Amino acid sequence: MESVQAKQPPTTTPEQQPQKLKPVHRMLLGFTGQEDRKIFNQIPAHVNKVHVDGLEHTKHDIVIKQVKDVLEAQSIGEICVRAHTAQSKLRKLDIFKDIQFFIDTSKGKQSGTNDYEVIFEVEERRLGGGIHGEVGTNDGAVRTAFKFLNLFGRAENVNMEYSYGTKMTSGSLMFSKPLFENPDILFRTGGYQHHGEYPWSGYRTIDRGLLADIQFPSRLGSHTLSCEGVWRELGCMNRTTAFAVREQAGHSLKYALKHIFARDHRDNNILPNKGTLFTCTQELAGVDDKVLGFVKHNMEFQAFKQLPLSTVFQLSLGGGIMKPLQSGTEVSIQDHFFLGGPLTLRGFNINAVGPSSDGNALGANAYWLGGLHLYTPLPFRIGKGGFDDHFRTHMFVNAGSLGNVNFDSNMKEDLQRLAETYRLSYGLGIVVRIGGLARLELNYCVPAQVRQGDSSNVGLQFGIGVTFS
Amino acid sequence: MASLLADAFAVEIGAKEPWPDNVSLYQPFEVGQILLPDFAACLGVKTYLSMCGLNYELVFKKNAEHMSPSGKVPFMHIGPFLISEFDPIVAFVNTKGFHLSSHLEETERGEMRAYMSLVDNVLLNAELYLSWCQEDVVTEVSRPRYGSVYPWPLNKVLSWKKYYEERRRLKAMGWAQKTLEEVCEEVKTCCQALSEKLDKNLYFFGDNPSELDALVYGHLYTLLTTVLPVSRFAEIIQEFDNLSQFVSRIDSKYHSKDLQH
Repeated sequence: MESVQAKQPPTTTPEQQPQKLKPVHRMLLGFTGQEDRKIFNQIPAHVNKVHVDGLEHTKHDIVIKQVKDVLEAQSIGEICVRAHTAQSKLRKLDIFKDIQFFIDTSKGKQSGTNDYEVIFEVEERRLGGGIHGEVGTNDGAVRTAFKFLNLFGRAENVNMEYSYGTKMTSGSLMFSKPLFENPDILFRTGGYQHHGEYPWSGYRTIDRGLLADIQFPSRLGSHTLSCEGVWRELGCMNRTTAFAVREQAGHSLKYALKHIFARDHRDNNILPNKGTLFTCTQELAGVDDKVLGFVKHNMEFQAFKQLPLSTVFQLSLGGGIMKPLQSGTEVSIQDHFFLGGPLTLRGFNINAVGPSSDGNALGANAYWLGGLHLYTPLPFRIGKGGFDDHFRTHMFVNAGSLGNVNFDSNMKEDLQRLAETYRLSYGLGIVVRIGGLARLELNYCVPAQVRQGDSSNVGLQFGIGVTFS
Repeated sequence: MASLLADAFAVEIGAKEPWPDNVSLYQPFEVGQILLPDFAACLGVKTYLSMCGLNYELVFKKNAEHMSPSGKVPFMHIGPFLISEFDPIVAFVNTKGFHLSSHLEETERGEMRAYMSLVDNVLLNAELYLSWCQEDVVTEVSRPRYGSVYPWPLNKVLSWKKYYEERRRLKAMGWAQKTLEEVCEEVKTCCQALSEKLDKNLYFFGDNPSELDALVYGHLYTLLTTVLPVSRFAEIIQEFDNLSQFVSRIDSKYHSKDLQH
């Protein structure tokens, strides 16, 4: 079996005479309490060698890059931390079935008493996949994935997926590769076909696209740069579809450059107790023969603060605006913003706020949304142990508006109108965290401010999904 | 089935109102996009509406085919209703109280239906054959025109997609396997039947026009005036003098301005 070794020259004998412990033999380290950690951090240590067992197909340079930081460790505690980090980096490559590490004393003629070796044992895998359930907003899907892993030895993966759901069916074939041997910088390219149904607007689409993107971290958060070309085919769902939507039926081509910035410092993505989330998306898109069609901005912010008595306070803000770059560019209904839903603007039906025609929502090119929530634990116990942690009651106030802003003529008035024609709803309900995957809400909503054309839902509203505000 | 009933019911209710002012007829662009069979269909409907003396606005849309509820052009937008293709439009116009063939007796009306069905089975399919099964016409006219309204690469992808779809349909009907000679024979037989029926009359049924006149005019005008790499059908029609005269007569009466094609 191949192994990679990275050696450092032997050390000189250390000056300090620290607390001597028995020699550490094969020890699988996990973290213990604060006291132990302090002790561990005080014991000086030095890593002579890092050894990775089990590599057959994987190229050495990418593995060395993930584990070489372990050599810098100065104490036992630090060895543990650095080895743990190396393990998660290797896991992120997605090419190993199992990764374990062991810390052993260094055997050899030049080894001192504080010299250690770290041995990683990995098991490569070339195939992967599985069947998962996915949740969207009030719809679900089953996703089957099949992956070819580690094609050329540097974690090049090919991922084939097929999803079948209540409102969509999609398939995709993606090739991904970490760049600069860094699993955090991921390049992906591939193609997909997506069938979607949008009953609130009365149309269905078939999107066939090619996309390439790069995801990389920065000090502030993670960035994704993507470029995409999509062949979109829009068809009406039935004969009662509004004519304004029917006019957009047919084929069109869209190519887009997108930048997404995300910074998620919440402690949980379904029921956070503290932290903030900030995402910001910019899109520059061309439609058909107009290379510069429109620019679209979208921002979302959430902040959670823990208050006494186990209550949590949440503030959410969101907004987006879209501007055509050439006069006369018709923006397709598929690119519009929509507002309303059991997890966003509660008390209104899904995407049913704003301009509409014959009962079909048309969307618009600008929106804003805000929310204030107060979460409390359930007033009674319903299960044993940590089961109650998955439930909260919450009281909320949501406000928002969706409207068209005309950039040519009276932009200021349109923006003012967007602020004035706000929709407002408040209520209370129960929030459930399902398996760390989805959020389920059952709320009693009172839509206090409804405008003409909106479709509201007074009373109980049920919602399940992943994104919320 | 339920939607057919609902449509019929809705049309019956709509019949109570008079012909509104904002009726629109949608079709693809005439200059660069429309193909032979669609042009014939649209012309037939437009002639029929002119014969009834009804106003409408002609709207050109590159996605008219996809907007249409049945996938075929032309389609009419009248109030809340969408009606596409010749026969349903005629039926709808009849419910509004405008009849072209009310003076005909039952037997004559049956005969008219038979001739209309002959035209649909022969002339329409011959046009489709010419557009999609004759290689010269396909590569020089049909595919470029169909894809002309889309950007690259959609123009290539969609025109090939349409080519395969139309060929599959013609194959199912047994027309794709025919040779050009056989199709010409069928067209000739059809024209012969029409010529005999028309004889020396102004219109097919006496001195007043009927649906059949509009439909036949649409197809014959298209075949006579469209310039294609293969012009056999025009020659066949020209062998029948009374048909050519019929076409020019209707053209001057109901389409006094020249139609671009």
